[in-house]
Amino acid sequence: MPKNRRGLSRLLPFLKPQGKTLLLCLLMVLLVNAAELAKPYILEIVIDRYLTTGRPDQGLDAVWVLALSYMACVALSSGLNVTEAVMVNRMGQSILMDIRRRVFTHIQHMSMKTLDHFSSGRLITRATNDVETLNELFSDVLVNLFKDVFMLLGIVAMMLWMNWRLALVAFAVVPLIALITVLVRGRLRRNFVRLKALTGQINGFFAENMSGMRLVQIFRKEKEKHDEFDELNFGYYKAARLQVRMNSLMRPLVEVVNQLGIAILVWYGCGQIGLGTLEIGLLYAFTNYIKQFFEPINDLAEKYTTISSAVVSTDRIFELLDDETQLEDTEAGKPLEQVVGRVEFRHVWFAYEGENWVLRDVSFTIEPGQSVAFVGTTGAGKSTIISLLSRFYDIQKGEILLDGRNIADFSLRTLRQHVAVVLQDVFLFSGTIAENVRLGNHEITDEQVGQALRLACADRFISELPGGMNYPVTERGSTFSAGQRQLLSFARAIAHDPAVFVLDEATASIDTDTEALIQASVRNVSSGRTTIIIAHRLSTIRHCDCIYVLRSGRIREQGSHEALMALGGIYRKLHDMQIKDS
Amino acid sequence: MGVLSGFFKKEGWRYLPGLVFLIANAALDVVPARLLGEAVDLMREPVIDREAVFRTLAYMVLAAVGIFLTRTVWRSFINGNARRMEMWLRNTLFTHLQTLGPDFFNHQKTGDLMAYAINDVNAIRMTFGPGFALACTSLFTGAFSIFQMGAGVNLRLALACLIPIPFLLVLIFRLGRVTRERFRRVQEAFADVSDRVQENISGIRVIKAYAQEEPEVERFESLNRNMRDTNVSMVKVSSAMSPMVTFIFGISFTICLIYGSHMVRTGQISLGDLVAFNGYLTLIIHPVQAVARVTNILQRGLASLKRYAAVVETPPTVVDASKNKHEGPLRGEIEVRDLTFHYPDGGDAALRGVSFTLRPGKTLGILGHTGSGKTTLCNLLLKLYNPARGMVAFDGVDIHDIALDTLRSGIGYVPQDNFLFSATIEENIRFYAPNASREEVEAAAKRADIYDSVMEFPDGFATQVGERGVTLSGGQKQRISIARALVKNPRILILDDSLSAVDARTEQDIWQALRGVFAGGTSGIIVAHRVSALQNCDEILVLEHGRVIERGTHEQLMALGGQYAHTARRQESGEEEEEDA
Repeated sequence: MPKNRRGLSRLLPFLKPQGKTLLLCLLMVLLVNAAELAKPYILEIVIDRYLTTGRPDQGLDAVWVLALSYMACVALSSGLNVTEAVMVNRMGQSILMDIRRRVFTHIQHMSMKTLDHFSSGRLITRATNDVETLNELFSDVLVNLFKDVFMLLGIVAMMLWMNWRLALVAFAVVPLIALITVLVRGRLRRNFVRLKALTGQINGFFAENMSGMRLVQIFRKEKEKHDEFDELNFGYYKAARLQVRMNSLMRPLVEVVNQLGIAILVWYGCGQIGLGTLEIGLLYAFTNYIKQFFEPINDLAEKYTTISSAVVSTDRIFELLDDETQLEDTEAGKPLEQVVGRVEFRHVWFAYEGENWVLRDVSFTIEPGQSVAFVGTTGAGKSTIISLLSRFYDIQKGEILLDGRNIADFSLRTLRQHVAVVLQDVFLFSGTIAENVRLGNHEITDEQVGQALRLACADRFISELPGGMNYPVTERGSTFSAGQRQLLSFARAIAHDPAVFVLDEATASIDTDTEALIQASVRNVSSGRTTIIIAHRLSTIRHCDCIYVLRSGRIREQGSHEALMALGGIYRKLHDMQIKDS
Repeated sequence: MGVLSGFFKKEGWRYLPGLVFLIANAALDVVPARLLGEAVDLMREPVIDREAVFRTLAYMVLAAVGIFLTRTVWRSFINGNARRMEMWLRNTLFTHLQTLGPDFFNHQKTGDLMAYAINDVNAIRMTFGPGFALACTSLFTGAFSIFQMGAGVNLRLALACLIPIPFLLVLIFRLGRVTRERFRRVQEAFADVSDRVQENISGIRVIKAYAQEEPEVERFESLNRNMRDTNVSMVKVSSAMSPMVTFIFGISFTICLIYGSHMVRTGQISLGDLVAFNGYLTLIIHPVQAVARVTNILQRGLASLKRYAAVVETPPTVVDASKNKHEGPLRGEIEVRDLTFHYPDGGDAALRGVSFTLRPGKTLGILGHTGSGKTTLCNLLLKLYNPARGMVAFDGVDIHDIALDTLRSGIGYVPQDNFLFSATIEENIRFYAPNASREEVEAAAKRADIYDSVMEFPDGFATQVGERGVTLSGGQKQRISIARALVKNPRILILDDSLSAVDARTEQDIWQALRGVFAGGTSGIIVAHRVSALQNCDEILVLEHGRVIERGTHEQLMALGGQYAHTARRQESGEEEEEDA
């Protein structure tokens, strides 16, 4: 993977098209700052020209004028502030939406091989929390960062312009602030990272124990688990206490330095006033500037945390987005049209990793409309065949042909439209039953959905539900039994009318009544379609035209049920074991 | 709030010194402004009394140090105590959750429980720490400043300048409410996006298999757009808050400038007074602004406390026996008499009049559909729920007179869902018996037919499983669960449909091993869907809707020709039977 530029600079391309908006915002920021800087200056003028000279008859109108310009500054700065914040946020939110979409789209197109290596938690974090961290960057930092920086520069410039000597005196405490910030902030930040990590640990521990609570109770491990938790909890408390202590010290300390700065200023100014080289109003304006000076400093320090977590999140997001080798192009290749359903494996070798061959030189041919089954013990490579036929993985040697043409030549999208797979763990999406049958394909009419449900023998239990096929599926279909979910997934396959139907039989226990429905349903699906069944229970597959027995990635026996029984090999043994039970 | 009384009794005193220092801090806060004013007045004299000015400045620095010390102390006391409370809350929650039974966990999503432990506890901490402190400092600093404005400078000037503030407070409350409402919508939008992403990733194989990537992106896009829109709509109000405060205080400062200047010029107040007054006015900006934040923190905290209390006040499902009448290990005899059981949340009886006796070393099989009461029976034998007195007895002692330790350590239980902890395989097997030797762990693994698979992992028994470790197949997990139950040589072994995810051959091997276990005098209760798993049991019960509808040995039941025989024939002959079904 090429190491690209890292950090927040990766976000620049997103900002580029927004150049005009940014420029406008920048302009507003400058105006806001100018208005803010003018406020103490106006005070200075009022005090020095009209309050200390002691001529009560003069300047009443002038004070009014100055006061109203003060008010105008306030109005200008608050008005522009809101406008700028809204503009920056609108821009930021659009950029975030863009990033979120890109992450989501990227995940959609990741190959199965890559997905195997990602925990789902990590991917979810990329698309949600990591983008959310950037949200803070845009809504909080971006809005204020420039304002703060310009404000600092503005204050320095203003003070130097008004009285450079006094300004230099006023800056005397700045090194002190810098020192405190460097000393405490560093530790504070490290501790903050630790605190976050500990929160994650507590989270993980809690989640696991909630799911496993029944076991903990049955095995009487409450005390041990509690002690473990206590230790974690106490570790967190210690880190949090350190955080509190440092924060208790840090913020008040900055304020002390602030007061100290004012005292030094007045002390120096006192001498100057005595000499007549300084006026009180100016001194007072300077105390105000010093107060203003500390605010952006504090702000900037606070933002540091946000910025550094944003950097981490940006890196993580782009690490994902940059790696295009993870993707599969579902459109590349010729479109596959009109499939009859002849499936052929020619000397197929496949390994998920390295030379760990899962399939070794597997060859077979299934004629259109035939039903075949694969049997074998766990790990024999049965389920892998499904993944290969849908091209979730690419094979290393050999060829897989559909209607005599290599499946690698066709676009994945069209290939998968013709091959319907029902997986062991049926996955139902939130939405209605009909939506789950149809998935995103709106060409499937309600009638077709109904027809599919009937053929899948799912109509009986659905008709008992309020709303029928518009009944909402909640929490991934946990309200349905495993068998019912299986029937729904058959309906899904039927509705998409594939040329090839592949069933990875569920291992989960299904009661005998539902089992009967499933068998009937399978017969409906397979009629007139090439059907491949990955069987775990031999009773399901007796009617198949051909049964392949896999062992250690090789086809060891093949033939009809009767033929294989007569052969008296592996199949016979498996069969006898299941039926007779020693 | 009652749930917190335990904490306040022990640690609540810390709030007292905290509060004392906080009030002292607020009183000191107004001092520098006063001193700056005095310094200004001193410097206006024709001949400046330098010594007096320096004395004032020295006081100013002293006051600053005082502010620093008092603030550091109260922050440590109050915020530190809130952290202590956080720890206590989490600990109490965890301890309490451990006493709750499966009915509680079945009705709660794990995500919600996590939210209690992290978010709610955090919100409560914020309320009793920073929220409480912010409310107090705002109150006292605001009060002291306003007092100084009126009493120390000039009452009329104070009143004139404070006119806009009540309006500001009303506006802050309103804006705060709108912001909260819109923020709630942002959170909902975020939750929608998260849910969708989560669901999408869990179902990614289906999406790929049906080439649904593009429709999925489209579906996501509407949620994505909604998230942007809710955010922008919230920002429109939330970003107005601080400029609004600046603006209205700007009015106050303008009044102060006009009216105050007039007073200085007419000699009603000194210039130093005006400077000090300006300082006081600046001091109340933060307290006024804090109103919105405090309300926010308080509201969230109270809502969280309510949720938290609801969990912590859920009565424990099972209480330990008050006195243990069963000394030492179970011998393996179970007697269930006319057992009828309703789940606490009502509904039909889950079990009705179930009776059986299991002698040591014998096995009992239970066959039934999903929902027939099989798992309920297991839960009751393990006392995860309370059966009525006199219905369940072990070795002739009622279940309520047996200590939970004695009861549960005597039973080896293999659950239906094969939950393993994120730990090594060895630790998972040893979970039941921490003192088991390595040999015993290996022996149990061999009996559960998982030894060879484990040894194939590069790290063997030290292989990490779960989130960060290797992914095990369902069958492997089941076998590790079985090894976990076997390692302690329990007198009673309960297999709750525990062999559903292993293939026929492995199932055979495990049964072979288990038969050895039962031959060694262990009693067994075997719950299964498949007749093949039950036919060697000494007695078999067929459950339906919580009732025993048939009972007997395999042969007797086959001869009876009822439900059992029907199921058996179906499973044996597979499809031929279904033709007429």
